[in-house]
Amino acid sequence: MAAPLARRTFLKGIAFGRATGVALPPLAAMFNGNGTAYAASTKPVESRFVLWFNGNGIPEKYWIPGETGKGFTMTPCLAPLAPFRDDIHVVTGIDNPAARFPGPGNDHHRSMSALMTGTSFTGRGAGGASIDQAIAARIGGESRFRSLELGVSQESFGESVQRNMSWAAYDRPRPPEMLPHKLFERLFGQKELGWINRRKSVLDAVRADAAQLQKALGQSDKLRLDEHMSSVRDVEKAIASLPPQYYKVDPPEYDGDMKDWPRIAKLQSDLLAHAFATQQTRVASYMLTKCQGLTRFPWLGYTAARHHDYTHRDGKAPGADGPDGQRIMRDICRWHVEEFAYLLGRLRSIPEGEGTLLDHTMLAFVHEHAEANDHKNNGLSVILAGHLPKFATGRHTRTTGTIGDLYLTMADEILGTGLGKFPTAQKTMAEIVA
Amino acid sequence: MTEHSPEPKRARETGMGLRALSRATWLCAMLASIMDGAETISFEKDVYPTLAKAGCASCHSSNGVANATRLQFPDEEPNPAEITGIGLSLRPLIDPAAPEKSLLAAKPTQRVPHAGGKRISPGSPEEGRLVAWARHLASLPEEKGARHAAPIRNAPNAALHRLTHTQYDNTVRDLLGDQTNPARQFPAEDYVNGFLTQVQGQSISPLLAEAYAEAAERIARNAVARGGAGIPNCAPGQTTCRDRFVRDFAARAFRRPPTASEVARLSTLFDQGGPALAIEAMLQSASFLYWSEPSLASTHKGYARASRLAYLLWNTAPDAALLTAAASGELDTAVGVEKHARRLLASPRAHHAVDEFIGQWMRFDRVIVLLKERRLFPRFNREVAQAMAEETRRLAAGLVWNNGNFMDFFRAGYSYLNADLAAVYGLPEPKEQFARVAYPAGSNRAGILGQGTFLAATSKPGETSPTSRGLFIRELFLCQHVPPPPPGVNGNLPPVTEAKPMTTRERLKVHLNNEACASCHNLIDPIGLGFEKFDAAGAPREKEKLTIPTFDRKKESQTVELDLLTAGSIAGIPNSNFETPADLGRILAETRQCQMCVVKQYFRYAMGRMETAADRPVLDAVFEDFRKSGFYFQELMISLVRRTEFPDPAAVTGGR
Repeated sequence: MAAPLARRTFLKGIAFGRATGVALPPLAAMFNGNGTAYAASTKPVESRFVLWFNGNGIPEKYWIPGETGKGFTMTPCLAPLAPFRDDIHVVTGIDNPAARFPGPGNDHHRSMSALMTGTSFTGRGAGGASIDQAIAARIGGESRFRSLELGVSQESFGESVQRNMSWAAYDRPRPPEMLPHKLFERLFGQKELGWINRRKSVLDAVRADAAQLQKALGQSDKLRLDEHMSSVRDVEKAIASLPPQYYKVDPPEYDGDMKDWPRIAKLQSDLLAHAFATQQTRVASYMLTKCQGLTRFPWLGYTAARHHDYTHRDGKAPGADGPDGQRIMRDICRWHVEEFAYLLGRLRSIPEGEGTLLDHTMLAFVHEHAEANDHKNNGLSVILAGHLPKFATGRHTRTTGTIGDLYLTMADEILGTGLGKFPTAQKTMAEIVA
Repeated sequence: MTEHSPEPKRARETGMGLRALSRATWLCAMLASIMDGAETISFEKDVYPTLAKAGCASCHSSNGVANATRLQFPDEEPNPAEITGIGLSLRPLIDPAAPEKSLLAAKPTQRVPHAGGKRISPGSPEEGRLVAWARHLASLPEEKGARHAAPIRNAPNAALHRLTHTQYDNTVRDLLGDQTNPARQFPAEDYVNGFLTQVQGQSISPLLAEAYAEAAERIARNAVARGGAGIPNCAPGQTTCRDRFVRDFAARAFRRPPTASEVARLSTLFDQGGPALAIEAMLQSASFLYWSEPSLASTHKGYARASRLAYLLWNTAPDAALLTAAASGELDTAVGVEKHARRLLASPRAHHAVDEFIGQWMRFDRVIVLLKERRLFPRFNREVAQAMAEETRRLAAGLVWNNGNFMDFFRAGYSYLNADLAAVYGLPEPKEQFARVAYPAGSNRAGILGQGTFLAATSKPGETSPTSRGLFIRELFLCQHVPPPPPGVNGNLPPVTEAKPMTTRERLKVHLNNEACASCHNLIDPIGLGFEKFDAAGAPREKEKLTIPTFDRKKESQTVELDLLTAGSIAGIPNSNFETPADLGRILAETRQCQMCVVKQYFRYAMGRMETAADRPVLDAVFEDFRKSGFYFQELMISLVRRTEFPDPAAVTGGR
């Protein structure tokens, strides 16, 4: 067995923004004798959860496999997942019933709130906690970050429910960090002890100020200030537990194109993989494109219109109700899958314990709608991925359950969070449990 | 009796003949109402659920499309006592001579014309219940029904307004001379109720708290390194120097005198890390990041007013004169508030504050990123989109600062163009960039209605959307909320084919011929259809050019040109037929609904929330001031700050 590495050993990560093929040196040396935990940490290997969101819907005929079970054929949209056949479970036919509850908003607002939280759009935001936040509330408390919210494409109509996928509670968004170098600074910024002590005294004073102010406030302002201070405590916690110093990640290039979404997506995935590897968080949400998103796709050659425009017939731009539009949507949705496959690849490339990070992670990849053009909200198609022991992989299943059933089964049967309930969940989705 | 149109779904369920069913239910309902007499019909149990199911409140509420009609529901879900009140308030809709013909039942069944369409089937038990209630009300002594007062809810009690990101940037600029606009790096703010100032959209996530912490550290470090801004160089142990700095600086950062315990905490930090550490803490303090709604502030009301005035009228922190006025009690009177409001408006800073309001109201964030299909609109690019926002900004600023009638925002016969924008609009090139130019005769443009901020921003990349244009006018200029389409509705219009080329107007007829769609689309599409002679980039056109999509790659796609009609109208506003944007601009400018909407939008922006029934007296008073001034926007601003603080007219001259 190799000698354990010293805490000060710096490991080079990947070359950000350049060729992404540079492999991360194996971390095996940092595991203890029985190979299940970091030498530097006494924590056992953790299970993690990632909720991955893509805006707008899909072209079902290019997306949904014709066969169910183990031997399904990879469709054009799913093709990038071919190397991960045994790591995924494609689940189709899922209902999103809360999208049809009467209430304010357009089909996009309603689907988004319902998809993330199982509750209706409030007219401003989502009507409850999203599944990632509900899970984070159960398993995130011990980590440096209770949860991480990441985003990539910023192009949207700008409303709260369109820009955010994670919700701490009713109307309480958790906005995603969309700039890789800022995410890097949060995760891997190296700080001196003097700085840490200074920052702590400042935040102590901030909390004392708030406590004093709070006495004079009415109930609703008290609650708002409570939330603010809970965020300040999260910041304090992140300072109190800096990342392990033996793990070095290079910052992303500052002068790269910050609107080159495929590049940003890969940087974000790299950072997320490293955040998991260093046990900084157990729960993440990943918003590749926005709800009713307006992403442009120059790298795919589609510059005449934006993402949402392409989902509907729009003048001269082919809409998804015609063959040309269907093909454009096929390429867009394949790109979504490609970026997801990239994250799976990163997780699979980092050894942890007796396997890789992917073996200890549960991922769910969801779209705002089923068929894009119709704003269809029943029959959603979802990709689950990972290798937690109780997760059934390697197949395509057609089901009739709700998105709440799927989430709660993941949370309780596979991740063991003991969540117990989630809006619209009524029965266990046994098909995804091994 | 009129011919009843049956309700197919119900008939299918029961399998009965349609006509027989409708007669039977009608008879049953009539019999029930006659036999039970009016005594036993319960508004709470029988009638209110019927009205709720028909969705009356989605239009008949203060911000609904039918907010000018006599039927009004509260904005929030009513409690049982309020429901009873609503039942009695329906008395004016009852014809005492012939209760069964009352509007209460005749409107929703469309036995008389109803802009909201047929919400209840004629002859249904639901109609029977409405008729029964009408009989009951008709049987009551007149005053019992008439005296009912609309339920008044208290205004929301949230008092804390978080600084918006631009307010944060402006505040650290004024406080410390920091010109770096640090908030541009914060997680972006979300639009709620159409603005960034809304209290409901102002939660502080861990990500934002972290951004505040990072920014505070950097701003404080840079300010100390730069020197000035009242930051002393106290020798260690020089407590007088330290205390004076902490006290003075905190009073500016918190916009009120600091408390003893605040001073103590900051002094400790000062001893630990000098002025930088104390400033770093102050910039993250809740007393810096929030300002308090003056009417709800429990202490320091005058200081809270100083913040309200400054953040509304300058979009930044109060200056020394305002804080002095707060300390002296000058802001405890309406006279003092008005005096300082006028002083603030005389400063160039007020211009930025008005730009901010206009930019949010007109959603410049969307305008400047507009995309148009390059093959169809080769002249359209990012710079043109930005010029569109600038055009709108200048129109509003010109009216606000040159004593204009703000309603000219809708009917001005001139605009502010640069060469590129003029080219896109097909107008002559201006002599000077963004100089004011009169529209040539026959352009039909008028104010905002002739600008890309409206015409292009409501269009898709390749074609216009009369529905979006209509909705924009309803929601932003009439403050009327149009209910969203029910979930699962197929919103696709019939495709254009070679055999059947259709204009957008013809394709939209689908909405208007389908009863389920028509009740709402009748309220929006006819407005937008009046703009069809302006294309998706805001240029005039006489014909609609259609490319018939072909999915056969070998075939050339065909282009057809169709004639356009521009007859438009606004349902609910009398005599509102129009042919051109200029016509509509005149109608809007003269409609109380639109004039009041300007007041409401500014109220929402200023107060950080939607108005409620409790705000109606204040809104009415502000509206009167605005109207009497000749719709001078500066008077609207003054009136709003004065009347929201001193709603009782007696207080206008009153003391503390």
